[in-house]
Amino acid sequence: MQKFTKEMVDDYADKLLIGLTEEENKMVLDEFGVIDATIDMINELPDIEKVEPMTHALDDFEYVLREDEPEESVPIEDLLANCDDHTDREVQVPRMVG
Amino acid sequence: MSYMDKSIEEIHEALKKGLVTSDELVKESLEKSHLVQEKCNAFVTILDDAKGTEVTDSLLSGIPYGVKDNYSTKGVLSTGSSNTLKDYVPFFSATAIDNLSKAGAVMVNKTVLDEFGMGGTGTTGHTGIVTNPWDKTRMCAGSSAGSAAAVAAGVYPYATGSDTGDSIRKPAAYCGIVGYKPTYGMISRYGLFPFASSLDHCGVLTRSVRDAAIVTDAMKGIDKNDMTSWNSKDVHLLEALDGNVKGKKLCYVKEICDINNYPNASDELKRHLENFMKTIDICKSLGMEVDEVSVDETLLKASPATYVVISCAEATSNMSNLTGFIFGPRASGDKWDEEMKNYRTKGFSPLIKRRFVIGSYVLQAQNKNRYFHNAQRVRRLLVDEWKKLFEKYDAVILPVGSGPAKKLEGSKDALDKNTAILEDHLQIGNFGGFPSITIPNGFIDGLPVGVNITGNCYEDEKTLNIAYALEGAMDYKGQVCKEVQ
Amino acid sequence: MNYKVLIGLEMHCEISKTKTKVFSSARNSFSETPNCNVRPVDMAFPGTLPVVNKEAVKMALMASMILGCSQPEYLYFERKNYYYPDLPKGFQITQETKPAPVGSYGMLTYECKGEKKTVRINNLHLEEDAASSDHYPSCSRINYNRAGVPLLELVTEPDFHSADEAVAFLEEMRSIYQYAGISEADSKKGQVRCDVNVSIMDKNLDESDPANWGTKVEIKNVNSFSGVRDAINYEIQRQIDLKEDGKYDEMPQQTRRWDEESASTIFMRGKVDAIDYKYFVEPNIPKFKISKEWLEEIRKSIPMLAHERKDMYMKNYGISEYDATILVKEKPVADFFEDTIKLGANPKSASNWITTNLLGSLNKMEITIEESKLTPSHLALLIKMVENGEISSQQAKGVFTESLETGKSPKDIASEKGLKQITNEGEITKIVNEVLDENPDIIEQYKNGKVAMVNYLVGQVMKKTHGTANPSLARDVMAKEIEKR
Repeated sequence: MQKFTKEMVDDYADKLLIGLTEEENKMVLDEFGVIDATIDMINELPDIEKVEPMTHALDDFEYVLREDEPEESVPIEDLLANCDDHTDREVQVPRMVG
Repeated sequence: MSYMDKSIEEIHEALKKGLVTSDELVKESLEKSHLVQEKCNAFVTILDDAKGTEVTDSLLSGIPYGVKDNYSTKGVLSTGSSNTLKDYVPFFSATAIDNLSKAGAVMVNKTVLDEFGMGGTGTTGHTGIVTNPWDKTRMCAGSSAGSAAAVAAGVYPYATGSDTGDSIRKPAAYCGIVGYKPTYGMISRYGLFPFASSLDHCGVLTRSVRDAAIVTDAMKGIDKNDMTSWNSKDVHLLEALDGNVKGKKLCYVKEICDINNYPNASDELKRHLENFMKTIDICKSLGMEVDEVSVDETLLKASPATYVVISCAEATSNMSNLTGFIFGPRASGDKWDEEMKNYRTKGFSPLIKRRFVIGSYVLQAQNKNRYFHNAQRVRRLLVDEWKKLFEKYDAVILPVGSGPAKKLEGSKDALDKNTAILEDHLQIGNFGGFPSITIPNGFIDGLPVGVNITGNCYEDEKTLNIAYALEGAMDYKGQVCKEVQ
Repeated sequence: MNYKVLIGLEMHCEISKTKTKVFSSARNSFSETPNCNVRPVDMAFPGTLPVVNKEAVKMALMASMILGCSQPEYLYFERKNYYYPDLPKGFQITQETKPAPVGSYGMLTYECKGEKKTVRINNLHLEEDAASSDHYPSCSRINYNRAGVPLLELVTEPDFHSADEAVAFLEEMRSIYQYAGISEADSKKGQVRCDVNVSIMDKNLDESDPANWGTKVEIKNVNSFSGVRDAINYEIQRQIDLKEDGKYDEMPQQTRRWDEESASTIFMRGKVDAIDYKYFVEPNIPKFKISKEWLEEIRKSIPMLAHERKDMYMKNYGISEYDATILVKEKPVADFFEDTIKLGANPKSASNWITTNLLGSLNKMEITIEESKLTPSHLALLIKMVENGEISSQQAKGVFTESLETGKSPKDIASEKGLKQITNEGEITKIVNEVLDENPDIIEQYKNGKVAMVNYLVGQVMKKTHGTANPSLARDVMAKEIEKR
C-alpha cells in the first residue's frame, strides 16, 4: 500500500486545480493519518467486504421517474447575469484547443 | 415592547389582534440584526429594504426570519460564505424558501456559515468568525453558526439551517436553542448549495419544539426538482404535538454516555454527562422507559473517519461546478485551467482545500475500495445498529458534544484522533437520514448545553413529540441569550 | 496479410426522440440560437439537482433489449469526474459497469457484404452529453443547449476484423436507433460519435485467448462512419508498419485521436497518463427498481425493425427482395411506403413508384424524402387514378413530376391540364376507324400477314388522342374493327 506523501498531496491538489501552502499540505497529511488508522481498524471488521456500500441516506425509497414534459428555457439575461465573461449569448473562456 | 424574542404563535396572535404590524416586526428584526451583526458577525447580508407581508391564517405570515446563506435566494446575494460566490445573485430560490414565502414569511437576512457548510466552528466563512451571543470568546459551532446566533439573540423566532454532520444540531446546543433536521427528503434540497448530497439535510433553528414543527410543516413537501424528496402530506408535525409520551421507550448508548469511557475527563465533561443523566430522570418522570444499551465500539470509533471520507468525496465532486466560468468572480489566466485554478486557489479557504484533497484521494481507483467503499460499508453497519435500536425503542437520546460552546482560541476543525465519539455521534443521524432534534437541557458555568433525540426515518411526529414533552418538563423553552458578555 | 485485426467500438449516439433532456426538463432539440434550451441544472447553478427522464430510460432499456443485453434490477447512475469547460458540473452523470448499466452482455447479428456476422456487446449505458463549444483565435465560446442531452454509449467486444465490418455494424445500429424511434442517429448533426480500438495479432494465433491479442490502441472522437473506416485502415497500416520495422513491441498502450485534415491518427496520451475519473454512485438519484411489468411493456412496444419490415414487405406484399432492401434502407422511406399503402394504394405500385421514380428524383433534387413535396397521400391518389383509368400511366409520370416539384395534388394537376383517359368504347371506335381510314396500305400489309402492324395502328390512335386513350381498350377495339375491313 502506497502511503500518502507530501508530493502526492501536491499532485492531487494540482489535479483539483487548487494550490496548497506548505502548512496546508502538512495539515492534510496529519488529518489523513487519523483516517488511515481508522481505515486499518475498519478493515479488521469481520466480513466487511460482504457489506453492501450504502450510497444514499434512504435505501428503501421508492420514487417515480420524471415525465417527458419540457419546461421553458431560462431567459438568457438570467443565465449570464453572474458570468463575468460572455459574448452575445455564450459563455467565453480562453481557447480550449490547440 | 419587543416581539422577536417571542414564539411564533404569540407573534401571530399579536399580529392578528392588531397589536403590532408586520412592518413593525420587520423593523424590530432589522434593528436587532444590526446589533447582533456588530456583536457576533452573524450575517452576510441584512435586507434593510425588507417589507412586511399580509397577515393571513398562516402562522408564519408577516413574521421575519433568517436564511442560511447556502440557500439560493432569488435576487438576493447567496454566497455559501465563500469567496468563490462572493457576488453571486441567483435567479431562483430554493424550494424550501419558496415554500416559506408562500406561507407569508419575511426573509430579513442571510446568515453566515462555515464555507459551504464544511466546518463545525463557524469560523471559516468568508466574512469572518461568528461569535457566540452567550459569550463572544466562544464559538457557536457550525456550520449554521449565524442562524444559531441570531435565533439565540432574539433577532427572529427562527432561521433555516442545513445539516450534513451536525450543522444544525450542534450550533443549537451551543447557543441554547432548538435545532431540528427532519427525515432525509422531507424538505427538498433543491437550491441548497450541496456539501455532501447523501448526507445533506435542510432544517430549522428555533427556540421551541412547537416553532420547529410549525416552520418545518411549511418548508417540507415533495418537489419535482429533487428526486430524493418524498410526499409528506400526511405528516402534520404541529398537530402531532400532544405531549403524551407515557409508555414511550428511549435508549442511550453506554459507549457514548458513560463517563468511565473518558479516562481524562474534564470537570466540564463530567458535569455535562451528569446533567444528561438528570435529563434521563426527567424523561422517566414523564412516564417514558429509558434503557442503557450497548453498541459495537469499533463501529462508533470508525464513525468520524467514515464521515470525513464520504463527505469529502462527495464534496470534491459537488464543488466541481465552482470554476468561475458561469458564475463567481472570473480569475485571470492564459488558459482555461489556469483561470480555474486561480479562481479556486484564491476562493476556497484552507479547510475546504484540504478536504478536497482527501476526497479526491479516497476516490482514486486504487484507493476507492479501501477508503470510500469501506466508509460506505461502515455507514450501513452503523445505520443497521440504529435501526435495530428503533425496533425496540421509539428514539435514541444522547448528549450533544462534550460540554458547552468551546473557546474560539485554539479551535481547529481537523479530525483529531482523540476526538471522542461524543463530539461526532450526531453524524449517524445523517448516515441514516433519521429525524433528529436538539433541545437545550441546562447550563454549565452559565453556558447552555443540549440534548439530542433521534428517531427512525419517517417518524418525525413521534420524535418531535418526545422532544416537546421533555422540553415542557424543563425550563429552557423559548430562552433568549442574556447580554453578550 | 499476415496479421489478424481486432477492432472494438464505443458508439455514442444521442437520443433525439425525447422531448426533454435526460436529467433536466429543458427541450431536447437542436436550435441555431445558443443557450435557448437551458434549465438551471444544465449550467450547474449551485443547488440544482438532476431529475431522470422516464422516456429516456425507456428508450435506453428498449435499445438494451434489441441488443440482447440483460437489464438491471435497479437503475443507478454514477458520476464521472473531470474538469473541462464544456462540462458545467465538473462531472458527467453516466453509468459504469458496476452497478449494472441499462444493458450488459448482449449480442447482435448484422450483415456485411451479404454475410451474417455477430458481435458481442459488452454494455450499453445511458448518460448525458456535454455542452458544445466554438473555437475562435483567442477564445472559445460555450453553448449549453447540448449539455444534458441523453446519450447512449454502446461498447462492443473487439469482434470486428476489418473496417468494413465495423462500419456495417454502425450502419446496422443506426438503422436500429432509427426504426426503434430512439434517434435519427445522424452523424451530420453530430448525433453519432465513436471511439475505436484497434490491435493486430499474428494470423496463426487463437484470437479467443486475450493473451494473444496485440497492444490496444484507442482512437478517440471519430465523428463519421467514413472517418471510422479511414481511421481503422490508417491505424492497421500504422501498426503493421511498426511490426515490419520491428518496432511494434516498443509501442505502448495508448490513446490517439483521428485528425480528419491530415487523415491520420495522432498520439494523445499513454496508459500511465490515463485519467482517473473517480466514479461514484450519484447520490442525488435514488436507486430505482425497474419492474418486470414495465420491462414487459417496453418489450411489447418495440417497433418493427428494418429486417422485420423487409420480411413483411416480401411476404405480405410480394415485393422483391431487391426492392424491399431499398425500401427499408432508410426508415423515412419505409415509413413513406407504409403511409402510402395505409391510404389504400396497391403495395407493388407504391414500391415501384418509390424505388424507380421517387428516390432517383429526390437524389437529383438533393433533398430527403421528408422534404419531398410529394406526400404519401399524393402518391396513393396518383396510383388510384391510374388504376381507375382516370389517367394513363404515361400521363401519370408527368403528373408525378409536377406534384413532386410543386406539391400540388395529382387531381388538381390532371384537371388543370385537362387530362383524362378516353374509356368510352364508342368514342374509341370512332377514332380507330379514322386511323384505319387514313392507313389503307397498313391494313393491306396486315391482311397479308404482317399482324404486328396492329401495334403501329394502336400507336396512331394514342398519338391522335395525345395518349389519353385507354391503351388496352384501343387495342381491343382495333383488333375488332380491322377484321371488319
